[in-house]
Amino acid sequence: MADSSQPSAPKPSSSVKLVLLGEAAVGKSSLVLRFVNNDFQPNKEPTIGAAFLTQKCQLPTRTIKFEIWDTAGQERFASLAPMYYRNAQSALVVYDVTKASSLVKAKHWVAELQRQASPGIVIALVGNKLDLCEDDAEGGDEGEGEGQGEEAGEEAGEGKGEGDDGKVRKVSAKDAKSYADDEHLLFFETSAKTGHNVNDVFTAIANKIPEASLKGPRGGATAGGGTQAAISAGQDSSRVNLNARQGAEGGPKEGCAC
Amino acid sequence: MFLSNLVQKAQQLIDPSTLPGPLANLTSNPTGRPSKAQLFRQQFRLPDSQNPLHEITAELTLPTSPQSAKNAAGQTRNWDKSNWDAAPRERGTHYVGQLHLSEGFLCFSTVNTSFVGNASAAASSAFTGRTHGTGPAGNGFTLPLCAVRRVERLHTQSYMFALSISTWNGYDSAGGSGGGGQEDASGKVKAPTPPKLTVQLEGSRQQCERFCDGLKKGLRQGIREVEGMRQVTSDCYSEYFLRYDFEDLPKPPSSSDGRPAGDGEGTEGEKGPSDTGLGSIFKYPGNSRKLRDRSKMRLWHEYLRENGRNCTLVRQPDFHRLIRVGLPNLLRGEMWELTSGSFYLRLQQPKLYQQILAKHAGEGSLAIEEIEKDLNRSLPEYAGFQSEEGIGRLRRVLTAYSWLNADVGYCQAMNIVVAALLIYLSEPQAFYLLSILCDRLLPGYYSQTMYGTLLDQRVFESLVEKTMPILWDHLVRNDVQLSVVSLPWFLSLYINSMPLIFAFRVLDVFFLEGPKVLFQIGLAILRINGEALLDATDDGSFISVLKSYFARLGASAHPRSENPKHRAITHFQALMVVAFKEFEGITQHTISEQRAKHKGPVLENIESFAKRTSIRNLGPEAKKLSPTDLAFLYDRFYAVLYARQQRQQVLQAAELEARRRQRQDVKAGSGAAEGVTPEMGRVAMGAGEKTAMDYDAFREFLAGVARWAVTDSPSSPVKEEGRAGGKGGGNGYFNAFPGRAGGTGRRMSVWGSGPEPAEHDFLQRLFARWDCEGTGEVSLQNVVYGLAPIKGGRDIMASIAYFFELYDDDKDGRVDREGILRMSEALLFLSRRGVESGAGAAASGPVVGADGEIKSRDELFLGAVSAFIRRCFEYADPDSGEREREGQVEEGVDLLDLNDEDEKAGAEQVDEPDHPLATPPPSTSNAKDDGMLARPSHHTFGQTSTAPKHAAANAALDPSSPVHITLPTFRMLVLADETLESFFDSGFANSFHLADAPLPSSTITSPSFLGLAPPAAHPPISASPTQAASPALSPGDAGGPHIPAISPGGAGAGVVGPGRGLRGMLDNIVTDGMRVAAEVRRRMDDAQKELDRSASVRGTEDDEEGEDGDETVGDLLDGADADAGGAGKPGLSEGRVGGPPLSPPPADGGKGGTEKSTMFER
Ligand SMILES: Nc1nc2c(ncn2[C@@H]2O[C@H](COP(=O)(O)OP(=O)(O)O)[C@@H](O)[C@H]2O)c(=O)[nH]1
Ligand SMILES: [Mg+2]
Repeated sequence: MADSSQPSAPKPSSSVKLVLLGEAAVGKSSLVLRFVNNDFQPNKEPTIGAAFLTQKCQLPTRTIKFEIWDTAGQERFASLAPMYYRNAQSALVVYDVTKASSLVKAKHWVAELQRQASPGIVIALVGNKLDLCEDDAEGGDEGEGEGQGEEAGEEAGEGKGEGDDGKVRKVSAKDAKSYADDEHLLFFETSAKTGHNVNDVFTAIANKIPEASLKGPRGGATAGGGTQAAISAGQDSSRVNLNARQGAEGGPKEGCAC
Repeated sequence: MFLSNLVQKAQQLIDPSTLPGPLANLTSNPTGRPSKAQLFRQQFRLPDSQNPLHEITAELTLPTSPQSAKNAAGQTRNWDKSNWDAAPRERGTHYVGQLHLSEGFLCFSTVNTSFVGNASAAASSAFTGRTHGTGPAGNGFTLPLCAVRRVERLHTQSYMFALSISTWNGYDSAGGSGGGGQEDASGKVKAPTPPKLTVQLEGSRQQCERFCDGLKKGLRQGIREVEGMRQVTSDCYSEYFLRYDFEDLPKPPSSSDGRPAGDGEGTEGEKGPSDTGLGSIFKYPGNSRKLRDRSKMRLWHEYLRENGRNCTLVRQPDFHRLIRVGLPNLLRGEMWELTSGSFYLRLQQPKLYQQILAKHAGEGSLAIEEIEKDLNRSLPEYAGFQSEEGIGRLRRVLTAYSWLNADVGYCQAMNIVVAALLIYLSEPQAFYLLSILCDRLLPGYYSQTMYGTLLDQRVFESLVEKTMPILWDHLVRNDVQLSVVSLPWFLSLYINSMPLIFAFRVLDVFFLEGPKVLFQIGLAILRINGEALLDATDDGSFISVLKSYFARLGASAHPRSENPKHRAITHFQALMVVAFKEFEGITQHTISEQRAKHKGPVLENIESFAKRTSIRNLGPEAKKLSPTDLAFLYDRFYAVLYARQQRQQVLQAAELEARRRQRQDVKAGSGAAEGVTPEMGRVAMGAGEKTAMDYDAFREFLAGVARWAVTDSPSSPVKEEGRAGGKGGGNGYFNAFPGRAGGTGRRMSVWGSGPEPAEHDFLQRLFARWDCEGTGEVSLQNVVYGLAPIKGGRDIMASIAYFFELYDDDKDGRVDREGILRMSEALLFLSRRGVESGAGAAASGPVVGADGEIKSRDELFLGAVSAFIRRCFEYADPDSGEREREGQVEEGVDLLDLNDEDEKAGAEQVDEPDHPLATPPPSTSNAKDDGMLARPSHHTFGQTSTAPKHAAANAALDPSSPVHITLPTFRMLVLADETLESFFDSGFANSFHLADAPLPSSTITSPSFLGLAPPAAHPPISASPTQAASPALSPGDAGGPHIPAISPGGAGAGVVGPGRGLRGMLDNIVTDGMRVAAEVRRRMDDAQKELDRSASVRGTEDDEEGEDGDETVGDLLDGADADAGGAGKPGLSEGRVGGPPLSPPPADGGKGGTEKSTMFER
């Protein structure tokens, strides 16, 4: 593929459109900021509709360039969401592990994507703010987790201690994981604050993007329905897989150096 | 003259625009096109209270001021040139246009109305060609009548009918401050008197007279507002500005050098300049020298001197030019106010901003929470918003607007727009301007669904497709979605995309010329970057091309040009040229047309998104219902809400109109009332706060899905009076149509075209159960959760329990005697139009009774209920002493009365011929003390001592031994009876008609807009089994055609005659000795009478009704009244209990007349 579309690039490179969805304040923008700038800070950027960012993700045999649409937080912007997920190849559906309702909302987004977005879309379910469930030293601002000293420093992602992370955790990893498994979603618990698991999410997505839907830097895909369909999301949802060039040989298990 | 009168009348008849405001909005909008009144308000940027009352062709003559004559000598004023040719005219500038009079304004514009054939026509239209906006684009004025000081009628030879108008401006402009003589030496001069406006009316004498009469009237009313006007104008910088000769003007603190301002207070203890926004404190963006702010100020000084200021400003071509080159900092706010029209809103309600803030001080809301989150990310790079001062202003303006327009509340992007406005405007000014933005300039942009944003994106895309097909193809081929790029442009008016100084220049033109400017600029951006964009193949590169372009806007567009003049042209200037020259053809008309074209699909998309989301949000319990049922419920739910809102709108508009007629109320409307369109309430338009049904809406909803929920006695045109007092529970049962005037000419059913719902204790109980949070309203989720156990489980035990629980008021697992009776009543109520047992072959077909007599299903049911009551009392458990004695006594009394009444039922029947069994009085119902069962006890209260005869026969009836049944008992009793068993097994569930078996379309209100396929022609439920069975049995029987007959049959089907089915039950019931019996008997008698009659006259339903008439028509009407009243106010009952006229008509059985007539038809 290197010879086909990106003569200058050492490795074949593909663009992957990724959209972030989820209830307001679950930490979507923070996750992106962590991924793109390896930074965590209050969001100073006013987001109108959605913020656009890019970040490359180096896999051993190719480069994935994520084009990230971080959708706006306010509930009413939800009706704009179809515009952003319409031709996305991947989605990060984020909830806040300390807020049960946010998982409910996340499930709605998953259902919406499964029904309306491109059929091959890779969805990762992400429970963010994991740091609030752990009593690691750096999270000085939360008191409730203090009791579980013995778990400090452990890797927290894998469903340990669900239900007993003090009062803070409201969504058990087990529940979310089993839901994710049922729906064939990638699943991670992250902390944008500590950076825990953040890159892993994107790497896993990069690896899971079907070769068939990689189309180089998004050139030459078939003509979609144009923007006519833009607002009416999902009307031509098979487009992404059509005519997509066969990707490089890279296996799906590659690591990501992003 | 007479003829022209006629013509005018005729025009008024056809032209909805001549209707006053709200009505005009409603009547003209089916097409989606704005009415003339709206266009008028748009053109002159007037508040909604203004309507075009008079219009006449006129010529405006402005004197050429000495100063401009002096200065203009060298300048080319070619747009004036033609005037000088006009021979015998007075010297001056002449404009031909249309003079309009509204309630409070005199407006003149050359746009759209200029005509050829006059020497000055060319001058008039010289500039208008460029703009084609909606704003005050043409030359002319928008003059509040209160600003007119004097109007003289000129009598000259050349002027047949000419007026000379002088305004207040210039007189006492210092607001009586007195101090600091206005013509003293310090360079301050009295603000100049603006020129007199001379207007020559061109029309028939009569037209002119009429216009002048209207003007006189308006002027007289305007006098009252002069004081307010002075206060409002004193906030205008121009008032201060013109007090000085330009050169003597005290240096504005920050305008010229960008020095940080002091506190802007006047120096010599006199009133300093008014608040000109944060910029006066924190410096205006940009380098004012580069912006040539001072020369602009000089030009404006001159212009305003000659042409009046704020209120009295006259727009001449220079006005538009001065705006195009960019407004100077200190006048920017004022000009935005004037050109957008927010000034007139402020003039109308100068204190509104402070009032709203005061009224809601200390309150919290979701909007406020959301505002709070965004305060720190609104133009954070501007110093003013790094300070508490700026943040505070922003917070207050956004908050005040969220209170003013709760439907919109707060939408992200408003923070940015308001922040930008606040740099140039004071808080109140920004508030009114925001209001104009949301209501008029950017309709629907910030609404709950943001439909306006989506619509305009679609419009923009179609314009790109049309004007730049190659680029468009490229975008499509590369799957780049334009709107993700352009959406922020529109949503934040380019403020967030371009460097601020340029975004403000766009705003300058936008407020003057209207929304089309946003499109023109957007198209020009794409055009200019066309080449680069053709190389971009993904969102990322597309965005970065534009980003770097925006960053270069201030740089030279032709850096390498030899010509220094060319080199001086910035990218931004080039952009303006492309936007307004190349895309000159994009007019407001284009935009309106495109909007109309795309509106439908866009709204539908939003609605289908909302529907998917909403159905998904229903939660796990909803899974018991099929997706189609859920979709059906969703549609039905919102159709009801929508239809009700619509009706309310119409009624309110009509009422408003009525009021207006009564007392020519000029100031009726306000900015907030603006979004009044028939689409209000439509989901996609942001249904606003209405996402739940109150009790009446709930009834209406049920009437569309269940036959038993349709009333038997539809009220004809509704009067709704005497809705006093609240219902015991305090639930919002009666907020149906606030403010509906009763019986004033226009008659409109409260229930629209759908069937009128019944009122019954059962409905109230069901409502209370569904309203599980006790909010007095049911949400879609409540409805689904309410129906899921009934429709979803299909489990007879669950169904029995559900019903039982409805009557177990105190949730102690027991239903007392009263409850038992109410249960029986409800069973009869539910079955009065037949029972639809989906599975059973016999459905509602005839059944051969033991005695060989053919009994209808309903007769069986009646028997079953009767037996049920009997058995209830047989198997009832005595109360175990927990109950207080008083309670027992009370109940006992009831019972005594009952029996007593049973005794003398025959006698009472004369007095009280109604009291239908199965239709409890619609209006008098009340959760606790209502319904027919309760009533007899009131009736006979006081004569209770008679020993109960039947009590002896049944211990349970003994008043001294109160009883109850438990769920197991109830279950047993139900299961013991085949009919009841079948009812709970399927009949009850089947009586709710959802997607698979909807009721005939006529019962569904306005289903179309939600994409609801009207379930027309769909055979009613159980029709098939019935049809299979009945023709074989007896063609003419109650069975076959019975369903269509009992279905409510559409809007306001006539009163259904008393149920013949009851007849067969007489024997059973009379012997039961329950109080139901008394009722039944009365009903039977009525039925019998009626039967006798109809036996002879087997005619149409109408005949029957006619027959009924003798006895019951009067009652009927009363019943209808009561019903209507009840619709809003169940609590009414106490006052009226026992009053015979209130009793409902002897309707019922449902099958009676209707059945008969349809039967014959078939
Ligand atoms: N403790 C903690 N806070 C977080 C984390 N991610 C985001 N936040 C905070 O949650 C709030 C909302 O974050 P934001 O990224 O704006 O959420 P968005 O609305 O989904 O984009 C901010 O105050 C963040 O600082 C996290 O991983 N841990
Ligand atoms: Mg965000």
